[in-house]
Amino acid sequence: MNIFTSAGAAVGLMIGLLICVVLFRFANKDKKIRTEYDERQKMVRARAYMLAFYTVMVFETVMVILGMGGFELPIASYLQHFTGIILGCIVLGVYCIWHDVYWGLNSNRKRYSVIMIFVGILNCIPIIGALKSGTLFMDGKMGMPALNIMVVIMLIIFSLTILIRHFADQAEAGKEE
Amino acid sequence: MKNLRLKSARAAKDMSQEDLADICGVSRQTISAVEKGDYNPTIKLCIAICKALDKTLDELFWE
Repeated sequence: MNIFTSAGAAVGLMIGLLICVVLFRFANKDKKIRTEYDERQKMVRARAYMLAFYTVMVFETVMVILGMGGFELPIASYLQHFTGIILGCIVLGVYCIWHDVYWGLNSNRKRYSVIMIFVGILNCIPIIGALKSGTLFMDGKMGMPALNIMVVIMLIIFSLTILIRHFADQAEAGKEE
Repeated sequence: MKNLRLKSARAAKDMSQEDLADICGVSRQTISAVEKGDYNPTIKLCIAICKALDKTLDELFWE
């Protein structure tokens, strides 16, 4: 990676953030960018962020130790850090979903689901492209499409957890009422 | 410990957990957690629940 590639990645990231702002405005019922949570949700989310932080810390430490011994994941070195970030996001998301705090008070669940499907499809395009052109592996290592694969796996895990939690919640609500 | 007084006060008002949650500005799961005794609400939420159910803090939360 040279300086132009890094600059391109930074610009891409900023554009991604801008798209996120627009998507959040679209996904929240009150058109606010910020998702609102109640007091219990904030408490649980704080615990989730702590666990996600520990996950990233442990992953990075393990990778440093393994790196000292010459071990590397079969992905480009810059993507190893992304792996840790994605792992942290999975821990955060799954913990929040499981404790009923994934949806905010002003979240429109249907719109969020549409966005998740849209993001999933967007991430599938580079994977399919790389598979077709045979560029998934370069010099024995996976390149940028590895990030798309990780994001797709993360979205599948989130979707499955949401589904399981939804059915459990429905059963519980019926019992409670 | 389950808060059965809250549950019965809500039922007496013919409110669902969702209705009470909307009035109090919290999620249905939070009301469920308070009723089940899984979550200790702050005094702010206790007051909001009491106002929604026309009850006093003593009636719903004092042991």
